[in-house]
Amino acid sequence: MTGRFFAGSATSRIAITIAVLLAIAVIVPILNIAVPTGSALHVPNYVVGLVGKYLCYALLALALDLVWGYCGILSLGHGAFFALGGYAMGMYLMRQIGDRGVYGNPLLPDFMVFLNWKELPWFWSGFDQFWFAALMVMAVPGLLAFAFGWFAFRSRVTGVYLSIITQAMTYALMLAFFRNDMGFGGNNGLTDFKDILGFNIQANTTRSGLFAATATALAFGVFVTWCIVGSKYGKLLMAVRDAESRTRFLGWRAENVKLFAFTVSAVMAGIAGALYVPQVGIINPGEFDPANSIEVVVWAAVGGRGTIVGPIIGAVLVNAGKSWFTGALPEFWLFALGGLFIAVTLFLPSGIVGTWDRWQPARPARGTAKVDVVPERIVAPAESSGAHPMAGAKPQPQPAE
Amino acid sequence: MGFLRKVVAACLIVAATLHGAAADEADLRLLVAKFAAAKNFQATEAVVRELGATGDPAVEKLLTALSQGGLYVRKGDDAVFVGDETGQDVQLRDPLNGAPAGVAAKADLSKVKVNNALRRVIRDALGGLTLGSKDPAVRLAAADTMFRNPDPAAIAALDTAIAGEDVTSVKTRLEQARAAAVLLSDLGEADKMTAIDTLSARADQDALSQLTRFHTSAQGALRDAAGAAVALIHQRLALWQVAQNVWYGISLGSVLLLAAIGLAITFGVMGVINMAHGEMVMLGAYTTFVVQQAIRALAPNLFDWSLAVALPMAFLVAGAVGLAIERGIIRFLYGRPLETLLATWGVSLILQQAVRTIFGPTNQEVGTPPWMSGSLQLGQLAITWNRLCIVVFCLAVFALLLWVMKRTRWGLQMRAVTQNRRMAASMGIRTPWVDALTFALGSGIAGIAGVALSQIDNVSPNFGQGYIIDSFMVVVFGGVGNLWGTFVGAMSLGILNKFLEPYAGAVLGKIIVLVLIILFIQKRPRGLFALKGRAVEA
Amino acid sequence: MSRANTILYLDGVSVSFDGFRAINNLSLVLDKGEMRAIIGPNGAGKTTMMDIVTGKMRPDAGEVYFDGDVDLTRHDEADIAMMGIGRKFQKPTVFESHTLEDNLLLSLKGPRSILPALFHRRSTAETSRIDEIFGLIRLGDRRRDLAASLSHGQKQWLEIGMLLAQDPKLLLVDEPVAGMTDAETEETVRLLKDIAQTHSVIVVEHDMHFVRELGVKVTCLHEGKVLSEGTLDFVSADERVVEVYLGR
Repeated sequence: MTGRFFAGSATSRIAITIAVLLAIAVIVPILNIAVPTGSALHVPNYVVGLVGKYLCYALLALALDLVWGYCGILSLGHGAFFALGGYAMGMYLMRQIGDRGVYGNPLLPDFMVFLNWKELPWFWSGFDQFWFAALMVMAVPGLLAFAFGWFAFRSRVTGVYLSIITQAMTYALMLAFFRNDMGFGGNNGLTDFKDILGFNIQANTTRSGLFAATATALAFGVFVTWCIVGSKYGKLLMAVRDAESRTRFLGWRAENVKLFAFTVSAVMAGIAGALYVPQVGIINPGEFDPANSIEVVVWAAVGGRGTIVGPIIGAVLVNAGKSWFTGALPEFWLFALGGLFIAVTLFLPSGIVGTWDRWQPARPARGTAKVDVVPERIVAPAESSGAHPMAGAKPQPQPAE
Repeated sequence: MGFLRKVVAACLIVAATLHGAAADEADLRLLVAKFAAAKNFQATEAVVRELGATGDPAVEKLLTALSQGGLYVRKGDDAVFVGDETGQDVQLRDPLNGAPAGVAAKADLSKVKVNNALRRVIRDALGGLTLGSKDPAVRLAAADTMFRNPDPAAIAALDTAIAGEDVTSVKTRLEQARAAAVLLSDLGEADKMTAIDTLSARADQDALSQLTRFHTSAQGALRDAAGAAVALIHQRLALWQVAQNVWYGISLGSVLLLAAIGLAITFGVMGVINMAHGEMVMLGAYTTFVVQQAIRALAPNLFDWSLAVALPMAFLVAGAVGLAIERGIIRFLYGRPLETLLATWGVSLILQQAVRTIFGPTNQEVGTPPWMSGSLQLGQLAITWNRLCIVVFCLAVFALLLWVMKRTRWGLQMRAVTQNRRMAASMGIRTPWVDALTFALGSGIAGIAGVALSQIDNVSPNFGQGYIIDSFMVVVFGGVGNLWGTFVGAMSLGILNKFLEPYAGAVLGKIIVLVLIILFIQKRPRGLFALKGRAVEA
Repeated sequence: MSRANTILYLDGVSVSFDGFRAINNLSLVLDKGEMRAIIGPNGAGKTTMMDIVTGKMRPDAGEVYFDGDVDLTRHDEADIAMMGIGRKFQKPTVFESHTLEDNLLLSLKGPRSILPALFHRRSTAETSRIDEIFGLIRLGDRRRDLAASLSHGQKQWLEIGMLLAQDPKLLLVDEPVAGMTDAETEETVRLLKDIAQTHSVIVVEHDMHFVRELGVKVTCLHEGKVLSEGTLDFVSADERVVEVYLGR
């Protein structure tokens, strides 16, 4: 299957990915719950938890791929959308604790009792309902992305400037969430969750359920992304990436094109965060750290941006590497990660999947068109993109405009 | 309180008149012995007052010991001692001359008990004792104590002290203390008017509270005068507050400028997004640490010069690392800013971890040369020397950089290359080397900034992380490619931050500034001082 | 001057940046259905004029009207493109990672909002329009290739094809034959003449041979204003034009 996976066209590759994800959504929980612990086929609990976490990261990387790979927007703030989704879910889980907290207050989470608060802040109301929390998981990151993108794209902030202000956005949110009086648990964040939808969050059946939900969500995310990039809108998205002003002079509103993708992507990141929190059992302001958001970029870059499947592979590989390093050689992890950033940009600019595609003999052009990415095009500042006889010439610095 | 005042006043009179003369030691010992008979706090207080009234510096140690609970009475003979507890025993010393007086078991002693009210009495008594000291600094402190606890009964003592005082600054303080006392006394209107003037000239928070208290109780013309003085002081204080905020702002601004100035070259002039910029600053700080360690080990008497030695070293270290990064990585990524961003982020991770592996994850102690510590009082403005040094240093670096860019051949080549690379190349400028050296210059300056910032921040492997986002904000806000823009950007962000802080708190203030910058970039994507270029097609 | 029968009407337009007056009191009128060639040395303001007409830049002063009564200074690029002004850049700009067909598909006249694009299905009308344009620009056999694989001249044609797909009333064509062989230039002349039968066109070009081939009224710009206007023979006989081109 691996052979077909790589050799096949983009379409069959994505179909295989979706099938694999749906299959593990069913098989892994069965192997975890139904197969006895002693059996060779038994999947231990920690593996379910670990892979579940990787799949959340994969969904986050996929979300980034939609804006970075297909629209050239290098967001250094996607971790913020992920964390916001996570907080929305965390708030629901906090409300589910009820009077089982340390202070036994039926209404207020422990940290609020500790801070001597008398009543629930208004923005916590409604989070005792799952449907409301689920709505907020998508609405909060979506609205933030919409508002942020509305201003940024309208005033044509592009390239590195956009990257820098997305980074500033997540940094500002991190500082804000560290404050106790924000009402989100400050430094410690939200934790000590008891149950979700009435199921004990520690039970391995619940964890298997969460795993299945994550794998399904990722499969759905792949499908949605695939539909988006395959549509006329998706072509437009890449057109904006390659020659933004051309699309404007053809009558398209490039800012709306970007805004739509950015918002959809933020919603996906929010869902990833919401699935992540019950599996790891905590959400704290550290998730907003700009360094996390940049790490997401390297997952997408390693796998190959603009390929849908690449970022998923990248997220799983890099995080598996991280797990291994932090176990075996903890002090070398940052060397490895730093080296990975450099190596990928210098030697593997189109990632694993993109590079594989390049090595393939020429295939029917239509198939390639969707996935093939010319790196120079993506990263060139939008204002001066377009054809330029730079190809082949030695790269040279250009002062920022 | 009335009684207390009288006691303090009494001891002041004694202190002022005797001025260093000691009371008869035998009398003192009699007084000290009274502690044995004092069975409650009130009685102890009375003894303290009597002791204070002697004005003899010899009782200082004893009173200090008492306030710390170190005064004992031996149960056998009711003798009084100053003692240090060691386990079950107490080392005894003579209460007046401090001579060792043997050891006694705790059980054989009873401690003279103190409470907070008593401690206050002791403190005041001590304050009074020192007005007669030979050391002007001690007299100054005593005058300040008197000012804060004004007592009409002390006026006479203060008059004497003023008459005998020859240090102008102490004299002024004494007069102010007297004025505060006069306001509470039953002296005539004319005296009080003068007192109001004296206090309003002092124009600080303490004078304000004295006058406000007086204003509520005074009548007629005095009330008006006090009201006017209060209003005046309020106004003055508000101005000083503004000045203080501006100073803090300039101070923060120069920190931002120092951190951003190297970035203004690499990002602004060359267009290279160097995410490892913060680590260049960190390398500068660690170079300072290493230089200081070496100096401590090899030539401790040169420690005063350690920063001067560290500056060129930091420039060379950070510059060399910058050169290596440019030659090794960045030159392959020109024209691909987003990839440069990612690669340099990788570099920053590696540098951080390398420093963590070599020096450990904890903060390193970087010493401050003695000439940089302490502070300078300018009216109501407190200016610490190290901050002042950083502001001056930052301006010097900025000026030097401007000079390099505008006046040297190298600067000319740099500007030529950034404006028209191909033309510059055909004029015989070796553009790859200009790129490399420009990047090294920006990195080296970041290293220099690290030397300065190591004086005010914790030197740890994450040192640079704290500056990178701020630096980018400054450069983008000021307008990329414009050194003066960076200057104005840093200073205005610093001042804005410090003006927001009192209202919003430090963290929220910073968040507000970030949000404002984000909104600002939307409005002017090219920053404050961006050049409006000729419209580039496509 | 009456704006009644004009497709483009510029009066007293000025714009400056960095203290440099790129356009200085420029007035220019193009009648409906007219093709006009604009010449002028570098820095004469040709591209800036196009920026103003297409909404990329706002003039500091002056009137810019399209189709008689639409004030272009109040609209942005996308609006203006939708009203019917197409622009070809000096540097051919096509979507290089798309096929030629997709390039045209994205340019076809039609709704320009996100949701219709998301659920778009290609209609037979669209397919036949694309075929028609491929016939005009003669790139039909390359329709499934990536635009990146085209030669410089072919990209110019594709871009003109994209403009046609947009079905504008006015085409602004900036240096269409730069970097073309003589044969390609001939082709382009034919193509533009074809287009001019049904559209108003402004062509900016340096190549005098090409301008002569077009055989239309010529406007010579210099330092942001009109230096001379008339037939090519008239303009090239004008002493001031000669002076500007050859120096004194």
